Amino acid sequence: MTKTSLSKLLFAIMLVMLLALAACGGDDSESENADSGNNDSTNEESGADEEGLFSIDDFSNIKTNEGEAIDGGSFTYGLVSDTAFEGTLNWNFYSGNPDAEIIQWFDEPLLTWDETYVYTQDGAATYELDGNTVTFTIRDNVNWHDGEPVTAEDFAFAHEVIGHPDYDGIRYGTDFTNIEGMEAYHEGEADSISGIEVIDEKTIAITYKEVTPSLLSGSLWTYPLAKHIFEDIPVAEMSSSDAVRKNPIGFGPFEVDEIVPGESVTFTKNEDYWRGEPNLDEVTVKVVSPTTVVNELESGGVDTVSSFPTDQYPDNADLENVEFLGNVDRAFTYMGFKLGTWDADAGEVVPDPNAKMANKNLRQAMWHAVDNDAVADNFYHGLRWNATTLIPPSHPEFHDESNPGRTYDVDKANELLDEAGYEDVDGDGMRENPEGEELVINFASMSGGDTAEPIANYYIQSWENVGLKVELVDGRLMEFNSFYDRVEADDPDIDIYQGAWGVGIDIDPRSLWGNSVSNYTRWTSEESERLLAEGVSDAAFDLEYRQEVYNEWQELMVEEVPAFPTLYRSVVVPVNNRVVNYGIGDGTGIYLNELGVTQEDPIVAE
Amino acid sequence: MWKFTVRRILIMIPQIILLSVLVFIMAKMMPGDALSGMVDPNVDPERLDEIRENLGWNDPWHIQYADWVGGVFQGDLGQSFRFKMPVTEIIGQRIVNTFWLSVATLVFTYLISIPLGITSGRYNDSLLDQAITSYTYIGFATPLFIFALVMLWVFGFMLGWFPTSGSVAPGLEPGTFEYVMSKIYHLILPAFSMALITTVNTVQYLRSEIIDTKQKDFILTARAKGASESRVYNRHILRNSLLPIAAFFGFEITGLIGGTVFVENIFGYPGMGQLFLESITLRDYSVVTSVVLLFGIASILGALLSDIILSLVDPRIRIK
Repeated sequence: MTKTSLSKLLFAIMLVMLLALAACGGDDSESENADSGNNDSTNEESGADEEGLFSIDDFSNIKTNEGEAIDGGSFTYGLVSDTAFEGTLNWNFYSGNPDAEIIQWFDEPLLTWDETYVYTQDGAATYELDGNTVTFTIRDNVNWHDGEPVTAEDFAFAHEVIGHPDYDGIRYGTDFTNIEGMEAYHEGEADSISGIEVIDEKTIAITYKEVTPSLLSGSLWTYPLAKHIFEDIPVAEMSSSDAVRKNPIGFGPFEVDEIVPGESVTFTKNEDYWRGEPNLDEVTVKVVSPTTVVNELESGGVDTVSSFPTDQYPDNADLENVEFLGNVDRAFTYMGFKLGTWDADAGEVVPDPNAKMANKNLRQAMWHAVDNDAVADNFYHGLRWNATTLIPPSHPEFHDESNPGRTYDVDKANELLDEAGYEDVDGDGMRENPEGEELVINFASMSGGDTAEPIANYYIQSWENVGLKVELVDGRLMEFNSFYDRVEADDPDIDIYQGAWGVGIDIDPRSLWGNSVSNYTRWTSEESERLLAEGVSDAAFDLEYRQEVYNEWQELMVEEVPAFPTLYRSVVVPVNNRVVNYGIGDGTGIYLNELGVTQEDPIVAE
Repeated sequence: MWKFTVRRILIMIPQIILLSVLVFIMAKMMPGDALSGMVDPNVDPERLDEIRENLGWNDPWHIQYADWVGGVFQGDLGQSFRFKMPVTEIIGQRIVNTFWLSVATLVFTYLISIPLGITSGRYNDSLLDQAITSYTYIGFATPLFIFALVMLWVFGFMLGWFPTSGSVAPGLEPGTFEYVMSKIYHLILPAFSMALITTVNTVQYLRSEIIDTKQKDFILTARAKGASESRVYNRHILRNSLLPIAAFFGFEITGLIGGTVFVENIFGYPGMGQLFLESITLRDYSVVTSVVLLFGIASILGALLSDIILSLVDPRIRIK
């Protein structure tokens, strides 16, 4: 009896293992097939894709108004995210982008900025820069939703909370340490911040240690915190308090009505809004999964969305009940070369002259070897395009249009490699390094989306075409977290990585390319440091001078190639035809109180 | 009986401790943390290091584990980094949704499986039985996450009968009649999708159990007594066949946990399953460990429940 059951058990185990093995085997061959399938289709497509391309120049970032707005009405905003929003609904405490998309409806900064990202005098406050001191004057009619005026005290209070040692958010940083006396306060050595002076109920003066052109484009903290509500809450508990999570308050065009945690928020209009009473009666913000965005738009379930997956655009370009707005994204994709390490104790970048990628010719050749236009056309239908310099065209003032970067040129790449002594000595078709040793370049790329793998393979192939052997680190794409973990830690297994970078509204490139822990290439030079410092010097208040400095810096980066940009990006956002007065991007001059709809119900696709 | 139950519960304690250690170590072994990859030009990297230090993320794992366990015994599961609120509170918000989703799924499961199982068992090897059996085989073979997507597409988007995401329509006052109705309305499609798949086990169990019982001697006796066919089935066969199904109930709960992870993500339904997946991708450790621990405890309790029901039903399997 025992014997039979034992053999049966054995049989069952064998069967399970057989199945498991079969499943693993099947998986492998499948993914291989998928790879080659993708490559094939890329080749096929490249012949016939002249027609299917789009260009961001054909888009407007302002919605065309079709008809008159009705009085009142309601509007639904789709927050596209595959996660629930966190619900930290206050500018001073939030960290995730989904929360920001919600806060913008009921609260706003004191200062607004124009399309060149410089603060204007059109916001809830005006400002004046005098020496190192900025004086803010809050308008008299700016009130919190509960009727209390927004005061200079509130603004000072926001600084005191963020600088407080118990503050648990991520906003404390160089923008704050730049304020006189902030560091002493943060360390607990002072009870107040010496650089902040409340002059009267609506006026406040803040003194900064260092005044650069960057200060007036995004480096001021402009969000007050309602002191009459938060003053009794200990700083450490503020971010989890009901005043942030359940009954958030602001002075924006709409007031929070109801919050369903993680799902949706409804707003009603703030009749007392300082720019004037809003057109709409109600606004609903609800989370929409990226996979169902198109269906929601077609059925009128949402009027517009926070972001639209660009890869779904070509199939939906002629969706009839919406208009697509487009704008150049403040972001780009790039390839970075690992050229040194980060010395955490000294807080500086230490370039390594013996790094595998330290040869300038090699890096230049790798840029010449890739055809980014082909990637952009095949995978993004022209909604991303070949990048030229490290300052993207979202900042037209500083992006050097005349600089072509390094164009796709295989001959040039071969020439550069030959010149530097990277030659094929053992006749296997792959180049060896100048010492005649085998050269294998390890490439780190992130997984995500259907195109991540074919794109990575495309780049590897392009480099193979010029005789460079490039392999994916560990032979596969990396998951987001491990990618950043290893790139940040200067993992010696990574020689080159593909990353993406969002550019702040302030153009100052020091945070990514200067002496900073986020400079993942770990490359720096005296020349680069000098240019970057000049870009934020007193002389740089002269726009033309600053442009010249940054043009020179862009050229230097094209010459040195510690990293090369691959693709610039665009954003497209569909808006229901019934919507009027809506725009995306910065400095449109259209405010949410003007937003309106031409009919009660959304227009539905037929 | 009591001895058995107490002993069974005592065995659970080391199981849960081992589970918590494993869960904690594995959570900490995941590459990255909640702040990695935050390459936001508006955020100072030094600030991130400061936060890591303040929250003790740089401490060795056993110290962090001790801190965590210390809190757990006081009912404090820690603070969620991402949500900036106590984990108990965030789980409290979500577990209600999952609870109702599970209840609805169980109701649907039994509503479908019992009539199907009975019909199939009573008229075994008929055409009807074959149809039902084919359905169960297809159900076994269909992955839930594909099936749920198809259901969402057909009934949510194509026919537009059901809402496509969320657990309640925006803007309703909690506690009102509309609010409750909206909650139920949002529940139906995900619960039904899950039930159609999970039900196939029960149908099969019930079917074979009924066929088995049909041939028992006491049924023959009942028939010989002259009991009507419906009485034989309702009083004699069904009662005896349902007992193992009742025992299976505990395992059903365990199965539901796996199901909710898929279904909640597909239907954008904010419950424990969605929270679980989100907190893993975003490395919200305190939430991951707490949710997994709760899932683990639920599974262990489910197994315990099954054992107890089974021992009540069938005294032979009581452990001595």
